[in-house]
Amino acid sequence: MPASPKPERRPPWPWLLLAPGLLWLLLLYLLPLLGLVPLSLSEPLSRFGLETVFRGRVATYGEVLGAYGPVLLRSLRTAALATALGLLLAYPLALWIRFRGRRWQPLLIGLVVLPSLSSYLVRAIAWSSLLGDNGPVLAIIHGLGLGGMLEGLGVLRGGRLLNTSTAVILGLTNSLLPFLVLPLVVSLQRIDPRLLEAAADLHANPLACFRRVVWPLSRPGLSAGLLLSLIPAAGDVVNPRFLGGPNERMIANTIENLLLVQLQAPRAAALTLVLMGLTSMVVLLQLRRGGLEELPLP
Amino acid sequence: MTRSRRQLLRQLGLGAGAAALAPLLLQACRPGRGPAAGGGGNTLVMSSFPLYIDGDAPGAPGSISRFRRETGIDLRYLEDINDARQFFARIRPQLAAGRPLRQDLVVLTSWMAQRLIALGWVDPLPLEQVPNQRNLSPSLREMPWDPKGRFTLPWQSGIAGIAYNIKATGRELSRVDDLFDPAFRGRVSALLEMRDTMGLLMLADGQDVSRPTWQAAQGAFQRLEKARRDGQIRRFTGNDYQNDLVTGNLVACIGWSGDVAQLAIDQPDLRFVVPDSGGMLWADLMLMPRGASHRREAAEWLNWVYEPREAARIAAAVQYISPVEGVRAILAADPATAALAASPLMFPDAAERRRLHVFGPLDEQEEARWEERFASITEA
Repeated sequence: MPASPKPERRPPWPWLLLAPGLLWLLLLYLLPLLGLVPLSLSEPLSRFGLETVFRGRVATYGEVLGAYGPVLLRSLRTAALATALGLLLAYPLALWIRFRGRRWQPLLIGLVVLPSLSSYLVRAIAWSSLLGDNGPVLAIIHGLGLGGMLEGLGVLRGGRLLNTSTAVILGLTNSLLPFLVLPLVVSLQRIDPRLLEAAADLHANPLACFRRVVWPLSRPGLSAGLLLSLIPAAGDVVNPRFLGGPNERMIANTIENLLLVQLQAPRAAALTLVLMGLTSMVVLLQLRRGGLEELPLP
Repeated sequence: MTRSRRQLLRQLGLGAGAAALAPLLLQACRPGRGPAAGGGGNTLVMSSFPLYIDGDAPGAPGSISRFRRETGIDLRYLEDINDARQFFARIRPQLAAGRPLRQDLVVLTSWMAQRLIALGWVDPLPLEQVPNQRNLSPSLREMPWDPKGRFTLPWQSGIAGIAYNIKATGRELSRVDDLFDPAFRGRVSALLEMRDTMGLLMLADGQDVSRPTWQAAQGAFQRLEKARRDGQIRRFTGNDYQNDLVTGNLVACIGWSGDVAQLAIDQPDLRFVVPDSGGMLWADLMLMPRGASHRREAAEWLNWVYEPREAARIAAAVQYISPVEGVRAILAADPATAALAASPLMFPDAAERRRLHVFGPLDEQEEARWEERFASITEA
């Protein structure tokens, strides 16, 4: 009887490479996050003190969902709209970079990333100047006579842009654009040019080539972009504060207020976990659909 | 007011100012490190609201520089308090754990100072080393937040009222109701400082704000909520209403007297008025957080800013109500500042003072209830 081959032993070094990152995540992310669970089920001993006592108070979740459910839904809706608008802008841009960018590709990608190098807060404030009542964007809109139409479409409110949901969506879209463009470009880069040549050889016109070849093969990039933008958008605190009004507040603003102003840490923890639960569901759905292998993360 | 302050407001806006202050904020968030937390033996660390002192100008050093030069004390003046409640949230973990802050002095609004005193998180001031405390205005002695005057000395007082741009409104405003004029829909803001916004609305309802009750506030809460829902109120703001007022995003708002007085130097169309129904009077106070180590240096500073000539310099810059007696005469004697001495917002007479009200105390439970209701409107 021939001796069975000795199973090949995998070297341990991949785990060693992973260890620092895993340790970082465990200590500075997972453990504090787990700490939110007992906090959300606790009650403060006093209004201004730090001590809380664990009472297994599940009712807090019902209270925050009842009180802040509409804000939560608004946050998800705003994030979805900003992501959708971002995809509409990012897809043609990524296509252009991939198929027409040629030797300028690195420069074009650099230009997409460039705004991210400035402070997030300063960018939001810059947008508030652009969108202000006497700012250049409204001047152009009114100069072109588009004010009435955009008011009718709900883009403007009372003839203004700043402190409306439109401004928040525009600010978010601007912030998210690099996270949408980069995975799309990576995804498009992976398309073998011979597939496009084959499609052309088979008499596919450009539209058919896009529909049958480019679009299906770029979908992993779309999915990755969706994950990378929808999740941070839902938890954004800066854009609604500087570009929105009181009717555009998002859930992160509420959490901040609960924690820093109302000093209701258990409620803030519960709302944070609800938000995390919802965004985690989006991630899980995506992973279940496509798996990690399909994600062309840059 | 210094040129640099106006430029900062115009060019960057207060939000950008906040961004620039981020390193200071982070610095101030650092945990205390025992008795020498503030730095060396000759260092004094003080936290205050932004743009609340005279700055350096060419050939005319501001109060901080002159104090450093003349006393040899290394004053580190941090403009890191944008909102008293958020600052409280930042310092609470350390003070609750019995650890000192790095700050030796902090400027906080009276109701927040009262909270810290009640929690036992404030040390008595070294008043025996502050002979100039005798210059404290009699109207600010034995105040409810510190009846024996052991823990606080006022920094400045001010008035919350209506600020507006006469060119944009097309008419003078004089009533709180004017803020709810449909012609101004979406171009009006109110303050996130609950006591000022609610106080003005309650006064307009004919309620007594010196003894605020939940029942008496309901009309004001409902009116505010409706105005927010209808889009009448564009924003709830901190200091950042100034930028919106200057750039024309707002035509009218609830604002603070000194801010508007300063902005009006360059924008004469900006006005500030105490509404017919009355204005809200507030005071920002200097206090020593528990465990502050530089008591001698703090006493030097307190004595310095309570010297009338120094106080007059600060008052001329910030244009709030100085707590120091003798400031008015000094301003009146100088042609460059004589107009300020006649300002009813800086020196309200007895009749004007009768129109100003101080928001009364709320106990812990009531305050939590009010804060939650107010947040349900501002953070809905």
